[in-house]
Amino acid sequence: MNPKIKPVGLARPRKELVELLRGTVLFSGLSPALIEKVADIAVLERAQKDAVLYRVDDPARDLYVVVAGQVNHAHGPATQARVLTKTMQPGDVFGWAALIKAPARRFATVTMLADTELLRISGAELMQALASDPEAARDVLARCAKMIVEDFTVPAWLAQVQDVPAGKGGSPMVQRQAAAGEIGAWEMFAYRLSKWAKSPTPYLMLVGFVLFFGAWYLLSEVFKVWRFASLPGPKTVLLEWFNPNPTYGMSLYTPDYYVHIWSSIRRVLYAFLISTGLGVPFGLFLGWSKNFREFTFPVFETLRPIPVLAWVPLAIVMFKGQESPVIFLTTLASFYATALNTMLGVQSIDESYPRAAACLGASKWQIFRHIVIPGALPFIFTGLQISVGVAWFSLVAGEMVSGEYGLGYLILASYVNVQYVVIIIGMVSVGVVGYVSSALVRLAGDYMMQWRVRELALGGGR
Amino acid sequence: MSAVLSQASQGNAHGGKGAIRIEHVDKVYEAKSGPVQAVSDCSLDIRAGEICMIVGPSGCGKTTLLNAIAGFHDITGGAIYLDGQMLCGPDRPKADPGPDRVVVFQNGALFPWKTNLENVAFGPVVQGKLSKAQAAEKARGLMADAGLAGVEHNYPGEVSSGMRRRVEIVRALMNDPKVLLLDEPFRALDQLTKSVMHEALLEIYYKNKVTIFFITHDLEEAIFLGHRVAIMTTRPCRPKKILEVDIPHPRDYAVLTSPRFRELMEETVSAVHEEAVKAFEAGEKEM
Amino acid sequence: MSAVAAPPMARPPKKKGPGFFGHPVVRAIISIAVFVGLWEVASRYSLPWIGQAPPPTKVVDAWVPLLTDQGYWYSWFQSSRRVLSGFLSAMIIGIPLGLAMATSRVFNDITFPVFEILRPVPPLAWVPAAIIFWPTQELSIGFVIFLGAIYTIMLNVIGGARSIDIRFFQAARSMGSSNWDIFRRIILPGVLPSIVVGCEVGIGITWNVVVAAEMISGGGGAIQSSAGGGLGFFIWNSYIGASYPLIVVGMISIGIAGYISSAIIRKLGILATPWLRAR
Repeated sequence: MNPKIKPVGLARPRKELVELLRGTVLFSGLSPALIEKVADIAVLERAQKDAVLYRVDDPARDLYVVVAGQVNHAHGPATQARVLTKTMQPGDVFGWAALIKAPARRFATVTMLADTELLRISGAELMQALASDPEAARDVLARCAKMIVEDFTVPAWLAQVQDVPAGKGGSPMVQRQAAAGEIGAWEMFAYRLSKWAKSPTPYLMLVGFVLFFGAWYLLSEVFKVWRFASLPGPKTVLLEWFNPNPTYGMSLYTPDYYVHIWSSIRRVLYAFLISTGLGVPFGLFLGWSKNFREFTFPVFETLRPIPVLAWVPLAIVMFKGQESPVIFLTTLASFYATALNTMLGVQSIDESYPRAAACLGASKWQIFRHIVIPGALPFIFTGLQISVGVAWFSLVAGEMVSGEYGLGYLILASYVNVQYVVIIIGMVSVGVVGYVSSALVRLAGDYMMQWRVRELALGGGR
Repeated sequence: MSAVLSQASQGNAHGGKGAIRIEHVDKVYEAKSGPVQAVSDCSLDIRAGEICMIVGPSGCGKTTLLNAIAGFHDITGGAIYLDGQMLCGPDRPKADPGPDRVVVFQNGALFPWKTNLENVAFGPVVQGKLSKAQAAEKARGLMADAGLAGVEHNYPGEVSSGMRRRVEIVRALMNDPKVLLLDEPFRALDQLTKSVMHEALLEIYYKNKVTIFFITHDLEEAIFLGHRVAIMTTRPCRPKKILEVDIPHPRDYAVLTSPRFRELMEETVSAVHEEAVKAFEAGEKEM
Repeated sequence: MSAVAAPPMARPPKKKGPGFFGHPVVRAIISIAVFVGLWEVASRYSLPWIGQAPPPTKVVDAWVPLLTDQGYWYSWFQSSRRVLSGFLSAMIIGIPLGLAMATSRVFNDITFPVFEILRPVPPLAWVPAAIIFWPTQELSIGFVIFLGAIYTIMLNVIGGARSIDIRFFQAARSMGSSNWDIFRRIILPGVLPSIVVGCEVGIGITWNVVVAAEMISGGGGAIQSSAGGGLGFFIWNSYIGASYPLIVVGMISIGIAGYISSAIIRKLGILATPWLRAR
């Protein structure tokens, strides 16, 4: 018996433990009577920080539920897990190797990260208690299997970002749904949000922002170090931006501000629509038809190295008026991104898909419609996101050189008129609008590709 | 058993029975290092309605044969006939892919952007044979038969790989094919799922009596499933030994430990091993 | 078995060749020739849009004398110099930063959000702020270039480091590697392909920024300065001076310069990652 771990009897009210058990993924499907039975056989133990509960290959007899504290669960080398180390929080269940018929061995080493209270449940006794209700026993084992699959085959990137836990948080209904794989997008989001708020991430983020804005503020407004003195500081910018009567005539309260924003948005919108309408079909054909590609790609590729912004003077010469050159430039930049990515998307489609479709009797056009277009969609949307970014990039430059109204124009004009604060306001506005437009494209993509979102969430593939 | 036999002689919707004849087929392709002979003077007769297992080491060219039958590649010599009609040969080096010979792919080729039901119903809808509603109806029925009721509206990415294979097989069968071409379909599955899939495949076979051309490198799988096992040489591919598996159908997993099974394994394992060693020493990369 | 054996064949039968017009290079030449031809015609007849541009013949006429003009080649040099220095500074700072973000969770959580909110601001929007801040024109252009390229490089480094198969780390640890060893032998080589990709994309952005910065600060718009020059300035100047064929000359020159720089990066990338070629 590990001296660092000792049972503590009635240190917690039984009601609390019953609630805790009911809230775990493993037991949430059981009837109240059965939960009481489980609470009867559970033993509350307290373990000191750094105590080792068990090691890999130890015989597995007991299941554990974390009541308070934190536990480190580290897989041994031979497991199929993609996430090797997990931190267990109150409400998490681990040690389910105890439910496997003897001789079961531990495949992880569990250490306490802090002084922890655990509910120890003997695997054999648990199965006996559930023997009276075979349905319930099947349910528990099924949940066990599901937990195994979801916990330890979550792709690494997801685990890093979200620290996906062993099933905790939210109401019992949410957990049951999660265990049944039916959890909806909103619950998942709320649940991840609560997890995120409990991790150190948001606080570190705050530290980052404080450092950045703090440094900017101190350098430009308080200590006025070197060249920072001529830069407007965050306080000045914010005061001006939110000022109903701004000194330089540009704030959230002035209509002119929105005129500029709308001019820019309008241009990007036109350009994006035209470039998508032309670029996607063009890219699809480039990828699909060798003939088409060999005849058109060379011209495409020869024009591509010319930086879009080098076209500015020529665009002014070719197109009359103020608006058309700017829209042309933006369209050109977006077109390249869209067409190229679409082509890559078509080329990325595994050859088994069109072959399977051909076997099933599809004609070339049917293959194009049912296989090529949906298959290329992920790349197409990546391309569209890039193209929105590129559009803003070119638009701002175009407006600076030859515009009237628009955020790029605003930024440059403020410089010329020595209204430096407005420069920053302009920059921030461009950033916000650009970000929102990218996000919109991404959301549209997620919506159109439900199958992919679900696939990624389950860490699945083929 | 007699019901099963009479079903076999009835043939199926395509009016033929699915007998494949491979005659002196050659396939040479151009690689960076020069021409490579993948298949050389390969001749094999596959009887209608039988399960014919093709066993050989990786990279020996068995997939090339399957691709030729399916119509994905051309052949450079010889001919292949289906029920007496030429699929590909001297004047027509490449067959047309079609729903009479449907392929089930190694890594699965269920369309990830369609639900399982839409996948299964794809063939008849796209050929114009059934309306969308009719196809959905038939698909639901076939899926239920195969134990897949309940996952119709899931996407392939959401179900287990064993289930995906089953859906793919049902998708193929929706088209009443003469031949089912399976290219190591269970290779990526773990042993437990594999054995369940074997029984599932046999169950499906007993109901449909379609000719099955099954490529595998697993000798046990081959003897368990097949009526006949053709052991192929390493590249260039050619039948080295053809084994008649006389264990009666219907079979179940108990067969795996039967004495006759052990005998058949003993007869063939040395031949397979010999080819495997040759392939290993030649450093064959999988094609 | 059939009675007639197929004639034995040792080589693939001579396929009917694709023919002269089927060859990709021929097709490329044809399509470019057609394009240039249409351009010429449109220009002669003053058709709208592409017809308003100077015709290819005039462009060539204007270009030939420049090939021996020192000033022209000096512009090449100036632009290339800016691209190189800006790009190198982006790499020197961006690669370590990206690696730090990929390896240290804490560092990532502190710094990444700040980068993310700055990212949507297009580099060129920074130009006036950069001019205010930096004492010289060159430094401000350099700063803007740096901003343009650094995001691509950083994001690619992070993505590359994260995608290194975890089993490589496990294998190294089980063979007793220290943290530094792992960094040098697993992370750095594993990230190299992504760095190369990031550089290829980054150089395109860099040229865009250089050209724009040269146009804006070298004489375009309202900002006048003495430290101008470069191909961007050349283009803008030609526009102001109404020598339209020279505009196109400038554009094509930049295109060529950009292509050469991309090719160099690609070559260096292949040299740095020989294992990828073997696939």
